[in-house]
Amino acid sequence: MKFDKKLLLLIGLVVILLLVPMMVTRPYFLHVIIMCLLWAYLASSWNIIGGFAGQLSLGHGIYTATGAYVTMMLFNTFGISPWLGLFVGGAAAVLISVLIGFPTFGLRGAYYALATVAISEGIVVIINSTHELGPFSVGGAEGLIVKMVGDSAAALQFSSKIPYYYLILFMLFLVIAVSYWIKTSKLGYCLIALKEDEDAAAAMGINVRNNKLIAAMISAFMTALGGVFYAVLIRYLEPNAIAGGSMSTQMVFLSIVGGSGTILGPVIGGILLSLISEVIRFYLGGQLMGLHLFIYGVIVLLVIMYQPRGIVALLGQIVQRFSGPKTVEGGVSGVKDSGA
Amino acid sequence: MSKILELKDLTIKFGGLTAVNHLNMHLEEGEALGLIGPNGAGKTTAFNLIVGVYQPTSGKVLFNSEDITGLKPYQVCHKGIGRTFQVVKPFGNMTVEQNIMVGAFAKTSSPRGARQIASNIMEKVGLQAKKNVLAHNLTIPERKRLEMAKALATNPQLLLLDEVLAGLNPTELEEAIKLIKSINEDGITIMMIEHVLQATMAICSRIVVLDYGRKIAEGSPQEVTSNPEVIKAYLGDEYDND
Repeated sequence: MKFDKKLLLLIGLVVILLLVPMMVTRPYFLHVIIMCLLWAYLASSWNIIGGFAGQLSLGHGIYTATGAYVTMMLFNTFGISPWLGLFVGGAAAVLISVLIGFPTFGLRGAYYALATVAISEGIVVIINSTHELGPFSVGGAEGLIVKMVGDSAAALQFSSKIPYYYLILFMLFLVIAVSYWIKTSKLGYCLIALKEDEDAAAAMGINVRNNKLIAAMISAFMTALGGVFYAVLIRYLEPNAIAGGSMSTQMVFLSIVGGSGTILGPVIGGILLSLISEVIRFYLGGQLMGLHLFIYGVIVLLVIMYQPRGIVALLGQIVQRFSGPKTVEGGVSGVKDSGA
Repeated sequence: MSKILELKDLTIKFGGLTAVNHLNMHLEEGEALGLIGPNGAGKTTAFNLIVGVYQPTSGKVLFNSEDITGLKPYQVCHKGIGRTFQVVKPFGNMTVEQNIMVGAFAKTSSPRGARQIASNIMEKVGLQAKKNVLAHNLTIPERKRLEMAKALATNPQLLLLDEVLAGLNPTELEEAIKLIKSINEDGITIMMIEHVLQATMAICSRIVVLDYGRKIAEGSPQEVTSNPEVIKAYLGDEYDND
Protein backbone atom coordinates (compact mmCIF):
# COMPACT_ATOMS: atom_id res chain seq x y z
CA MET A 1 0.00 0.00 0.00
CA LYS A 2 2.76 2.34 1.07
CA PHE A 3 4.82 1.31 -1.90
CA ASP A 4 1.96 2.00 -4.31
CA LYS A 5 1.55 5.48 -2.91
CA LYS A 6 5.25 6.14 -3.37
CA LEU A 7 5.22 4.83 -6.91
CA LEU A 8 2.20 6.95 -7.76
CA LEU A 9 3.90 10.02 -6.36
CA LEU A 10 6.99 9.27 -8.43
CA ILE A 11 5.03 8.76 -11.64
CA GLY A 12 3.10 11.97 -10.98
CA LEU A 13 6.33 13.88 -10.45
CA VAL A 14 7.87 12.54 -13.64
CA VAL A 15 4.74 13.42 -15.66
CA ILE A 16 4.77 16.95 -14.26
CA LEU A 17 8.46 17.29 -15.10
CA LEU A 18 7.80 16.07 -18.65
CA LEU A 19 4.97 18.59 -19.08
CA VAL A 20 6.92 21.60 -17.80
CA PRO A 21 7.75 22.99 -21.28
CA MET A 22 4.04 23.08 -22.10
CA MET A 23 3.24 25.04 -18.97
CA VAL A 24 6.23 27.37 -19.02
CA THR A 25 6.10 29.18 -22.32
CA ARG A 26 8.40 32.11 -21.70
CA PRO A 27 11.92 31.13 -22.85
CA TYR A 28 13.47 33.10 -19.97
CA PHE A 29 11.62 31.06 -17.35
CA LEU A 30 12.42 27.83 -19.12
CA HIS A 31 16.06 28.87 -19.22
CA VAL A 32 15.99 29.46 -15.45
CA ILE A 33 14.52 26.00 -14.93
CA ILE A 34 17.14 24.46 -17.22
CA MET A 35 19.91 26.13 -15.23
CA CYS A 36 18.40 24.86 -11.96
CA LEU A 37 18.39 21.31 -13.32
CA LEU A 38 21.97 21.74 -14.57
CA TRP A 39 23.11 22.81 -11.09
CA ALA A 40 21.24 19.88 -9.56
CA TYR A 41 23.00 17.62 -12.06
CA LEU A 42 26.44 19.08 -11.33
CA ALA A 43 25.91 18.94 -7.55
CA SER A 44 24.88 15.29 -7.87
CA SER A 45 27.97 14.52 -9.94
CA TRP A 46 30.20 16.17 -7.34
CA ASN A 47 28.38 14.25 -4.62
CA ILE A 48 29.73 10.92 -5.91
CA ILE A 49 33.27 11.71 -4.79
CA GLY A 50 32.55 14.55 -2.36
CA GLY A 51 29.52 13.08 -0.63
CA PHE A 52 29.59 9.30 -0.92
CA ALA A 53 33.37 8.96 -0.62
CA GLY A 54 33.77 12.09 1.53
CA GLN A 55 36.73 13.38 -0.47
CA LEU A 56 36.47 17.15 -0.60
CA SER A 57 37.10 18.26 -4.17
CA LEU A 58 37.26 22.03 -4.50
CA GLY A 59 38.21 21.91 -8.16
CA HIS A 60 35.41 20.23 -10.06
CA GLY A 61 35.48 23.19 -12.44
CA ILE A 62 38.44 21.35 -13.98
CA TYR A 63 36.09 18.67 -15.25
CA THR A 64 33.32 20.95 -16.52
CA ALA A 65 36.02 22.91 -18.37
CA THR A 66 37.70 19.78 -19.73
CA GLY A 67 34.42 18.34 -20.98
CA ALA A 68 33.28 21.63 -22.50
CA TYR A 69 36.55 22.72 -24.08
CA VAL A 70 37.62 19.35 -25.49
CA THR A 71 34.18 18.70 -27.00
CA MET A 72 33.83 22.18 -28.45
CA MET A 73 37.37 22.37 -29.79
CA LEU A 74 36.76 19.10 -31.65
CA PHE A 75 33.47 20.49 -32.95
CA ASN A 76 34.82 23.88 -34.02
CA THR A 77 37.92 22.53 -35.73
CA PHE A 78 36.90 19.17 -37.18
CA GLY A 79 33.14 19.42 -37.02
CA ILE A 80 32.98 16.35 -34.78
CA SER A 81 29.49 16.09 -33.28
CA PRO A 82 29.30 16.85 -29.55
CA TRP A 83 27.53 13.48 -29.23
CA LEU A 84 30.89 11.84 -30.00
CA GLY A 85 33.03 14.63 -28.57
CA LEU A 86 31.50 14.23 -25.14
CA PHE A 87 33.13 10.82 -24.83
CA VAL A 88 36.53 12.30 -25.62
CA GLY A 89 35.89 15.18 -23.21
CA GLY A 90 34.68 12.75 -20.56
CA ALA A 91 37.72 10.53 -21.04
CA ALA A 92 40.04 13.52 -20.72
CA ALA A 93 38.32 14.50 -17.46
CA VAL A 94 38.67 10.93 -16.16
CA LEU A 95 42.38 11.02 -17.00
CA ILE A 96 42.84 14.27 -15.09
CA SER A 97 40.93 12.89 -12.10
CA VAL A 98 43.34 9.94 -11.98
CA LEU A 99 46.36 12.24 -12.26
CA ILE A 100 45.11 14.22 -9.25
CA GLY A 101 43.81 11.25 -7.28
CA PHE A 102 46.56 8.71 -7.68
CA PRO A 103 49.27 10.58 -5.76
CA THR A 104 46.93 12.16 -3.18
CA PHE A 105 44.41 9.44 -2.33
CA GLY A 106 47.03 7.44 -0.46
CA LEU A 107 47.59 10.37 1.90
CA ARG A 108 45.58 11.48 4.90
CA GLY A 109 44.10 14.87 5.50
CA ALA A 110 43.63 17.81 3.19
CA TYR A 111 46.09 16.87 0.44
CA TYR A 112 43.43 15.87 -2.05
CA ALA A 113 41.45 19.08 -1.45
CA LEU A 114 44.62 21.16 -1.78
CA ALA A 115 45.62 19.40 -4.99
CA THR A 116 42.21 20.02 -6.54
CA VAL A 117 42.41 23.74 -5.66
CA ALA A 118 45.94 24.11 -7.01
CA ILE A 119 45.24 22.29 -10.27
CA SER A 120 41.95 24.08 -10.94
CA GLU A 121 43.62 27.46 -10.40
CA GLY A 122 46.35 26.34 -12.77
CA ILE A 123 43.86 25.24 -15.41
CA VAL A 124 42.10 28.63 -15.33
CA VAL A 125 45.41 30.40 -15.90
CA ILE A 126 46.39 27.99 -18.69
CA ILE A 127 43.08 28.42 -20.53
CA ASN A 128 43.19 32.20 -20.07
CA SER A 129 46.62 32.42 -21.65
CA THR A 130 46.29 29.80 -24.40
CA HIS A 131 45.04 31.05 -27.76
CA GLU A 132 46.07 28.17 -30.00
CA LEU A 133 46.73 24.55 -29.19
CA GLY A 134 47.99 22.72 -32.28
CA PRO A 135 45.19 22.91 -34.85
CA PHE A 136 42.68 24.02 -32.19
CA SER A 137 41.66 27.52 -31.32
CA VAL A 138 41.21 27.85 -27.55
CA GLY A 139 40.43 31.53 -27.45
CA GLY A 140 42.40 32.50 -24.36
CA ALA A 141 40.84 35.04 -22.05
CA GLU A 142 38.35 36.18 -24.70
CA GLY A 143 36.72 32.78 -24.44
CA LEU A 144 35.69 30.19 -26.99
CA ILE A 145 32.69 30.83 -29.18
CA VAL A 146 30.90 27.72 -30.38
CA LYS A 147 30.52 27.70 -34.15
CA MET A 148 26.86 28.17 -35.12
CA VAL A 149 25.36 25.80 -37.65
CA GLY A 150 21.69 26.56 -37.17
CA ASP A 151 19.11 24.07 -35.88
CA SER A 152 20.81 20.69 -35.82
CA ALA A 153 20.31 17.75 -33.51
CA ALA A 154 23.72 16.36 -34.45
CA ALA A 155 25.41 19.56 -33.31
CA LEU A 156 23.06 19.91 -30.33
CA GLN A 157 22.06 23.37 -31.48
CA PHE A 158 18.42 24.32 -31.21
CA SER A 159 16.74 27.71 -31.43
CA SER A 160 14.11 26.50 -28.97
CA LYS A 161 14.93 25.88 -25.30
CA ILE A 162 12.67 22.84 -25.13
CA PRO A 163 15.16 20.22 -26.41
CA TYR A 164 17.69 21.46 -23.86
CA TYR A 165 15.13 21.04 -21.13
CA TYR A 166 14.52 17.40 -22.02
CA LEU A 167 18.24 16.76 -22.43
CA ILE A 168 19.14 18.06 -18.96
CA LEU A 169 16.12 16.30 -17.46
CA PHE A 170 17.37 13.04 -18.93
CA MET A 171 20.88 13.75 -17.62
CA LEU A 172 19.49 14.42 -14.15
CA PHE A 173 17.62 11.10 -14.20
CA LEU A 174 20.82 9.46 -15.34
CA VAL A 175 22.92 10.87 -12.49
CA ILE A 176 20.23 9.93 -9.97
CA ALA A 177 20.22 6.39 -11.37
CA VAL A 178 24.02 6.21 -11.18
CA SER A 179 23.94 7.54 -7.60
CA TYR A 180 21.29 5.00 -6.67
CA TRP A 181 23.31 2.19 -8.20
CA ILE A 182 26.46 3.26 -6.35
CA LYS A 183 24.68 3.68 -3.05
CA THR A 184 23.10 0.24 -3.12
CA SER A 185 26.09 -1.64 -4.51
CA LYS A 186 29.30 -2.92 -2.95
CA LEU A 187 31.06 0.24 -4.14
CA GLY A 188 28.70 2.45 -2.15
CA TYR A 189 29.18 0.50 1.05
CA CYS A 190 32.95 0.63 0.60
CA LEU A 191 32.89 4.38 -0.06
CA ILE A 192 30.80 5.21 2.98
CA ALA A 193 32.92 2.90 5.12
CA LEU A 194 36.18 4.54 4.05
CA LYS A 195 34.64 7.97 4.58
CA GLU A 196 33.80 6.96 8.14
CA ASP A 197 37.14 5.37 9.00
CA GLU A 198 39.91 4.48 6.58
CA ASP A 199 41.78 2.17 8.98
CA ALA A 200 38.71 0.16 9.84
CA ALA A 201 37.76 -0.01 6.15
CA ALA A 202 41.23 -1.29 5.19
CA ALA A 203 41.15 -3.88 7.98
CA MET A 204 37.91 -5.18 6.44
CA GLY A 205 39.55 -5.78 3.10
CA ILE A 206 38.74 -2.52 1.31
CA ASN A 207 41.36 -1.14 -1.05
CA VAL A 208 40.89 2.46 0.01
CA ARG A 209 42.83 4.15 -2.77
CA ASN A 210 41.23 2.18 -5.62
CA ASN A 211 37.73 2.78 -4.35
CA LYS A 212 38.38 6.51 -4.08
CA LEU A 213 39.82 6.50 -7.59
CA ILE A 214 36.79 4.73 -9.05
CA ALA A 215 34.47 7.25 -7.39
CA ALA A 216 36.62 10.15 -8.60
CA MET A 217 36.57 8.81 -12.17
CA ILE A 218 32.79 8.36 -12.26
CA SER A 219 32.33 11.80 -10.73
CA ALA A 220 34.73 13.42 -13.22
CA PHE A 221 33.00 11.82 -16.20
CA MET A 222 29.53 12.89 -15.07
CA THR A 223 30.76 16.41 -14.31
CA ALA A 224 32.38 16.65 -17.76
CA LEU A 225 29.02 15.80 -19.36
CA GLY A 226 27.57 18.72 -17.41
CA GLY A 227 30.29 20.91 -18.91
CA VAL A 228 29.37 19.75 -22.43
CA PHE A 229 25.73 20.58 -21.76
CA TYR A 230 26.73 24.04 -20.54
CA ALA A 231 28.74 24.55 -23.73
CA VAL A 232 25.91 23.62 -26.11
CA LEU A 233 23.39 25.63 -24.10
CA ILE A 234 25.37 28.86 -23.66
CA ARG A 235 27.51 28.43 -26.82
CA TYR A 236 30.24 30.55 -25.33
CA LEU A 237 32.94 29.35 -22.95
CA GLU A 238 34.41 31.97 -20.66
CA PRO A 239 37.40 30.47 -18.80
CA ASN A 240 36.56 31.93 -15.38
CA ALA A 241 32.90 30.95 -15.61
CA ILE A 242 33.39 27.35 -16.77
CA ALA A 243 36.60 26.47 -14.89
CA GLY A 244 36.86 29.07 -12.14
CA GLY A 245 36.46 28.91 -8.41
CA SER A 246 32.80 29.91 -8.43
CA MET A 247 31.91 26.95 -10.65
CA SER A 248 33.84 24.59 -8.36
CA THR A 249 32.56 25.91 -5.05
CA GLN A 250 28.96 26.17 -6.24
CA MET A 251 28.82 22.40 -6.74
CA VAL A 252 30.16 21.84 -3.23
CA PHE A 253 27.78 24.40 -1.79
CA LEU A 254 24.61 23.03 -3.36
CA SER A 255 25.51 19.48 -2.50
CA ILE A 256 26.29 20.15 1.16
CA VAL A 257 23.32 22.44 1.74
CA GLY A 258 21.03 19.92 0.05
CA GLY A 259 22.52 17.00 1.95
CA SER A 260 25.77 15.50 0.72
CA GLY A 261 26.13 11.74 0.73
CA THR A 262 22.43 11.24 0.01
CA ILE A 263 20.98 10.51 -3.41
CA LEU A 264 18.39 13.27 -3.51
CA GLY A 265 20.07 15.91 -1.32
CA PRO A 266 22.20 17.48 -4.06
CA VAL A 267 19.22 17.41 -6.45
CA ILE A 268 17.00 19.23 -3.98
CA GLY A 269 19.79 21.60 -2.97
CA GLY A 270 20.66 22.35 -6.56
CA ILE A 271 17.10 23.08 -7.69
CA LEU A 272 15.97 24.94 -4.58
CA LEU A 273 19.00 27.16 -4.06
CA SER A 274 19.41 27.99 -7.74
CA LEU A 275 15.75 28.92 -7.87
CA ILE A 276 15.99 31.09 -4.75
CA SER A 277 19.13 32.74 -6.08
CA GLU A 278 17.44 33.47 -9.41
CA VAL A 279 14.25 34.82 -7.81
CA ILE A 280 16.22 37.10 -5.50
CA ARG A 281 18.31 38.29 -8.43
CA PHE A 282 15.20 38.91 -10.52
CA TYR A 283 13.56 41.11 -7.90
CA LEU A 284 16.52 42.70 -6.15
CA GLY A 285 19.31 42.44 -8.70
CA GLY A 286 18.90 45.96 -9.99
CA GLN A 287 18.57 47.75 -6.66
CA LEU A 288 21.80 47.44 -4.78
CA MET A 289 24.89 45.78 -6.20
CA GLY A 290 25.50 42.45 -4.49
CA LEU A 291 22.36 42.57 -2.34
CA HIS A 292 20.93 39.42 -3.90
CA LEU A 293 24.17 37.56 -3.23
CA PHE A 294 24.14 38.75 0.37
CA ILE A 295 20.59 37.49 0.95
CA TYR A 296 21.47 34.23 -0.78
CA GLY A 297 24.45 33.88 1.56
CA VAL A 298 22.29 34.44 4.63
CA ILE A 299 19.87 31.71 3.51
CA VAL A 300 22.73 29.26 3.01
CA LEU A 301 24.12 30.23 6.42
CA LEU A 302 20.79 29.57 8.11
CA VAL A 303 20.48 26.14 6.53
CA ILE A 304 24.01 25.20 7.61
CA MET A 305 23.41 26.47 11.15
CA TYR A 306 20.04 24.87 11.77
CA GLN A 307 20.14 21.86 9.47
CA PRO A 308 23.79 20.84 9.04
CA ARG A 309 22.75 17.50 7.55
CA GLY A 310 21.12 19.33 4.69
CA ILE A 311 17.69 20.24 3.43
CA VAL A 312 16.96 16.59 2.64
CA ALA A 313 17.16 15.73 6.36
CA LEU A 314 14.70 18.54 7.09
CA LEU A 315 12.30 17.21 4.46
CA GLY A 316 12.78 13.75 5.94
CA GLN A 317 11.67 15.01 9.35
CA ILE A 318 8.62 16.70 7.86
CA VAL A 319 7.58 13.58 5.97
CA GLN A 320 8.12 11.55 9.13
CA ARG A 321 5.86 13.86 11.11
CA PHE A 322 3.03 13.38 8.64
CA SER A 323 3.40 9.70 7.85
CA GLY A 324 4.36 8.37 11.27
CA PRO A 325 7.64 6.74 12.21
CA LYS A 326 8.55 5.51 8.79
CA THR A 327 12.20 5.56 7.81
CA VAL A 328 13.14 8.03 5.10
CA GLU A 329 16.35 8.93 3.46
CA GLY A 330 18.30 11.57 5.32
CA GLY A 331 21.32 12.09 7.47
CA VAL A 332 24.97 12.24 6.56
CA SER A 333 24.98 8.99 4.71
CA GLY A 334 21.29 8.63 4.22
CA VAL A 335 20.92 5.57 6.39
CA LYS A 336 17.93 4.61 8.44
CA ASP A 337 17.98 6.05 11.91
CA SER A 338 15.65 4.13 14.12
CA GLY A 339 17.90 4.37 17.15
CA ALA A 340 17.25 6.68 20.08
CA MET B 1 47.86 -29.49 13.84
CA SER B 2 49.78 -27.11 11.69
CA LYS B 3 51.13 -23.66 12.30
CA ILE B 4 48.68 -21.07 11.02
CA LEU B 5 50.79 -18.05 11.94
CA GLU B 6 54.51 -17.72 12.53
CA LEU B 7 56.45 -14.64 13.53
CA LYS B 8 60.15 -14.94 12.78
CA ASP B 9 62.55 -12.57 14.46
CA LEU B 10 60.03 -9.76 14.05
CA THR B 11 61.50 -6.35 14.93
CA ILE B 12 60.33 -2.78 14.48
CA LYS B 13 62.11 0.38 15.53
CA PHE B 14 60.48 3.79 15.81
CA GLY B 15 63.51 6.08 15.83
CA GLY B 16 65.49 4.97 18.90
CA LEU B 17 62.66 2.90 20.37
CA THR B 18 62.51 -0.78 19.62
CA ALA B 19 58.79 -1.45 20.06
CA VAL B 20 58.96 -5.12 19.10
CA ASN B 21 62.31 -6.81 19.59
CA HIS B 22 63.20 -10.08 17.81
CA LEU B 23 59.82 -11.63 18.48
CA ASN B 24 59.57 -15.33 17.64
CA MET B 25 56.28 -17.06 18.20
CA HIS B 26 53.64 -19.11 16.43
CA LEU B 27 49.99 -20.09 16.57
CA GLU B 28 48.62 -23.56 16.02
CA GLU B 29 45.57 -23.87 13.83
CA GLY B 30 42.42 -23.75 15.94
CA GLU B 31 44.01 -22.65 19.20
CA ALA B 32 43.30 -19.57 21.28
CA LEU B 33 46.36 -17.68 22.37
CA GLY B 34 46.60 -14.76 24.76
CA LEU B 35 49.13 -11.99 24.33
CA ILE B 36 49.66 -10.13 27.58
CA GLY B 37 52.12 -7.66 29.01
CA PRO B 38 52.28 -4.30 30.76
CA ASN B 39 51.22 -1.13 28.98
CA GLY B 40 53.63 -0.19 26.22
CA ALA B 41 54.99 -3.73 25.92
CA GLY B 42 54.38 -3.76 22.16
CA LYS B 43 51.28 -5.96 21.98
CA THR B 44 49.23 -3.76 19.70
CA THR B 45 52.33 -2.98 17.65
CA ALA B 46 52.78 -6.72 17.13
CA PHE B 47 49.18 -6.89 15.84
CA ASN B 48 49.81 -3.99 13.52
CA LEU B 49 52.91 -5.73 12.18
CA ILE B 50 50.95 -8.90 11.47
CA VAL B 51 48.18 -7.13 9.55
CA GLY B 52 50.49 -4.80 7.64
CA VAL B 53 49.70 -1.44 9.24
CA TYR B 54 53.44 -1.22 10.02
CA GLN B 55 56.25 -2.73 7.98
CA PRO B 56 58.82 -4.51 10.20
CA THR B 57 62.39 -3.24 10.36
CA SER B 58 63.43 -6.88 10.08
CA GLY B 59 61.87 -10.31 10.41
CA LYS B 60 58.99 -12.11 8.75
CA VAL B 61 55.32 -12.89 9.16
CA LEU B 62 54.22 -16.27 7.79
CA PHE B 63 50.52 -17.09 7.43
CA ASN B 64 49.78 -20.70 6.44
CA SER B 65 53.50 -20.93 5.59
CA GLU B 66 53.15 -18.06 3.11
CA ASP B 67 55.25 -14.94 3.59
CA ILE B 68 52.79 -12.06 4.06
CA THR B 69 55.36 -9.51 5.26
CA GLY B 70 54.89 -6.21 3.43
CA LEU B 71 51.31 -6.81 2.31
CA LYS B 72 48.82 -3.97 2.83
CA PRO B 73 46.11 -4.32 5.50
CA TYR B 74 43.36 -4.92 2.92
CA GLN B 75 45.43 -7.69 1.31
CA VAL B 76 46.10 -9.32 4.67
CA CYS B 77 42.36 -9.26 5.31
CA HIS B 78 41.74 -11.09 2.02
CA LYS B 79 44.35 -13.70 3.03
CA GLY B 80 42.11 -14.55 5.99
CA ILE B 81 43.18 -12.50 9.01
CA GLY B 82 40.55 -10.36 10.72
CA ARG B 83 41.33 -7.84 13.43
CA THR B 84 39.53 -5.60 15.88
CA PHE B 85 40.79 -2.26 17.13
CA GLN B 86 41.58 -1.43 20.74
CA VAL B 87 39.76 1.86 20.31
CA VAL B 88 36.67 0.54 18.54
CA LYS B 89 36.07 1.93 15.08
CA PRO B 90 32.41 1.56 14.18
CA PHE B 91 31.17 3.25 11.01
CA GLY B 92 29.03 5.59 13.11
CA ASN B 93 26.60 6.78 10.45
CA MET B 94 25.84 3.31 9.15
CA THR B 95 23.44 0.87 10.77
CA VAL B 96 24.70 -2.23 12.55
CA GLU B 97 23.63 -4.35 9.58
CA GLN B 98 25.42 -2.08 7.10
CA ASN B 99 28.57 -2.09 9.25
CA ILE B 100 28.71 -5.86 9.12
CA MET B 101 27.82 -5.96 5.42
CA VAL B 102 30.95 -3.94 4.67
CA GLY B 103 32.99 -6.81 6.08
CA ALA B 104 30.95 -9.38 4.18
CA PHE B 105 31.77 -7.61 0.90
CA ALA B 106 35.31 -8.95 1.30
CA LYS B 107 33.91 -12.30 0.21
CA THR B 108 30.94 -11.44 -2.00
CA SER B 109 29.98 -8.67 -4.41
CA SER B 110 26.23 -9.06 -4.12
CA PRO B 111 24.41 -6.90 -1.57
CA ARG B 112 21.92 -9.70 -1.05
CA GLY B 113 24.70 -12.15 -0.20
CA ALA B 114 26.31 -9.64 2.13
CA ARG B 115 22.99 -9.04 3.87
CA GLN B 116 22.60 -12.79 4.39
CA ILE B 117 26.09 -13.10 5.90
CA ALA B 118 25.42 -10.07 8.12
CA SER B 119 22.20 -11.64 9.31
CA ASN B 120 23.99 -14.86 10.33
CA ILE B 121 26.67 -12.94 12.17
CA MET B 122 24.23 -10.68 14.00
CA GLU B 123 22.56 -13.84 15.21
CA LYS B 124 25.91 -15.22 16.35
CA VAL B 125 27.02 -12.16 18.30
CA GLY B 126 23.55 -11.19 19.52
CA LEU B 127 23.04 -7.92 17.69
CA GLN B 128 19.94 -9.00 15.76
CA ALA B 129 17.73 -6.61 17.73
CA LYS B 130 20.02 -3.68 16.92
CA LYS B 131 20.00 -4.37 13.19
CA ASN B 132 18.74 -0.93 12.11
CA VAL B 133 20.38 1.15 14.83
CA LEU B 134 23.09 3.59 13.76
CA ALA B 135 26.41 2.41 15.15
CA HIS B 136 27.11 5.66 16.98
CA ASN B 137 24.01 5.07 19.07
CA LEU B 138 25.32 1.76 20.46
CA THR B 139 26.53 1.25 24.03
CA ILE B 140 30.18 0.35 24.68
CA PRO B 141 29.59 -3.41 25.08
CA GLU B 142 27.49 -3.39 21.90
CA ARG B 143 30.23 -1.54 20.05
CA LYS B 144 32.73 -4.20 21.10
CA ARG B 145 30.39 -6.87 19.82
CA LEU B 146 29.99 -4.97 16.57
CA GLU B 147 33.77 -4.71 16.30
CA MET B 148 34.01 -8.50 16.49
CA ALA B 149 31.06 -8.95 14.14
CA LYS B 150 32.72 -6.74 11.50
CA ALA B 151 35.92 -8.76 11.67
CA LEU B 152 33.98 -12.04 11.58
CA ALA B 153 32.08 -10.92 8.49
CA THR B 154 35.30 -11.01 6.46
CA ASN B 155 35.30 -14.78 7.15
CA PRO B 156 38.77 -15.00 8.74
CA GLN B 157 40.73 -18.12 9.60
CA LEU B 158 42.58 -16.14 12.23
CA LEU B 159 41.00 -13.46 14.37
CA LEU B 160 43.10 -10.89 16.23
CA LEU B 161 41.21 -9.39 19.16
CA ASP B 162 42.65 -6.24 20.72
CA GLU B 163 41.25 -5.72 24.24
CA VAL B 164 37.66 -6.54 23.38
CA LEU B 165 36.94 -7.33 27.03
CA ALA B 166 38.21 -4.09 28.57
CA GLY B 167 35.59 -1.95 30.27
CA LEU B 168 32.88 -4.61 30.52
CA ASN B 169 30.98 -5.34 33.75
CA PRO B 170 31.02 -8.92 35.13
CA THR B 171 27.83 -10.00 33.38
CA GLU B 172 28.90 -8.55 30.06
CA LEU B 173 32.33 -10.09 30.54
CA GLU B 174 30.86 -13.53 31.01
CA GLU B 175 28.77 -13.20 27.86
CA ALA B 176 31.73 -11.93 25.86
CA ILE B 177 33.91 -14.82 27.02
CA LYS B 178 31.18 -17.24 25.98
CA LEU B 179 31.03 -15.59 22.57
CA ILE B 180 34.79 -15.72 21.98
CA LYS B 181 34.88 -19.36 23.06
CA SER B 182 32.11 -20.22 20.63
CA ILE B 183 33.88 -18.40 17.81
CA ASN B 184 36.96 -20.45 18.61
CA GLU B 185 34.89 -23.65 18.65
CA ASP B 186 33.67 -22.77 15.14
CA GLY B 187 37.25 -23.37 14.05
CA ILE B 188 38.56 -19.82 13.98
CA THR B 189 42.02 -19.46 15.46
CA ILE B 190 42.16 -16.65 18.01
CA MET B 191 44.95 -14.41 19.21
CA MET B 192 43.87 -11.94 21.84
CA ILE B 193 45.48 -9.05 23.63
CA GLU B 194 43.95 -8.69 27.06
CA HIS B 195 44.55 -7.07 30.40
CA VAL B 196 41.76 -8.97 32.12
CA LEU B 197 43.89 -11.94 33.12
CA GLN B 198 41.06 -14.08 34.48
CA ALA B 199 39.25 -13.84 31.18
CA THR B 200 42.37 -14.63 29.19
CA MET B 201 42.94 -17.72 31.29
CA ALA B 202 39.35 -18.80 30.78
CA ILE B 203 39.66 -18.64 26.99
CA CYS B 204 43.27 -19.31 26.09
CA SER B 205 45.20 -22.52 26.32
CA ARG B 206 48.51 -20.76 25.84
CA ILE B 207 49.79 -17.33 26.78
CA VAL B 208 52.71 -15.26 25.51
CA VAL B 209 54.02 -12.42 27.68
CA LEU B 210 55.70 -9.36 26.19
CA ASP B 211 57.72 -6.76 28.06
CA TYR B 212 59.58 -3.90 26.39
CA GLY B 213 58.98 -5.57 23.03
CA ARG B 214 60.58 -8.86 24.06
CA LYS B 215 58.95 -12.19 24.73
CA ILE B 216 59.70 -12.95 28.37
CA ALA B 217 57.52 -15.99 28.91
CA GLU B 218 55.34 -18.48 27.08
CA GLY B 219 53.26 -21.42 28.22
CA SER B 220 50.01 -22.48 29.84
CA PRO B 221 48.19 -19.88 31.96
CA GLN B 222 49.40 -21.57 35.14
CA GLU B 223 53.04 -21.64 34.03
CA VAL B 224 52.97 -18.03 32.93
CA THR B 225 51.32 -16.60 36.01
CA SER B 226 53.77 -18.33 38.32
CA ASN B 227 56.78 -17.23 36.29
CA PRO B 228 58.88 -14.84 38.44
CA GLU B 229 59.86 -12.72 35.46
CA VAL B 230 56.24 -12.13 34.56
CA ILE B 231 55.44 -11.15 38.13
CA LYS B 232 58.40 -8.78 38.05
CA ALA B 233 57.28 -7.22 34.80
CA TYR B 234 53.79 -6.60 36.12
CA LEU B 235 54.55 -5.62 39.70
CA GLY B 236 58.14 -4.34 39.59
CA ASP B 237 61.46 -5.47 41.16
CA GLU B 238 60.45 -4.64 44.72
CA TYR B 239 57.96 -7.50 44.74
CA ASP B 240 60.70 -10.08 45.54
CA ASN B 241 61.49 -8.47 48.89
CA ASP B 242 58.01 -9.01 50.23
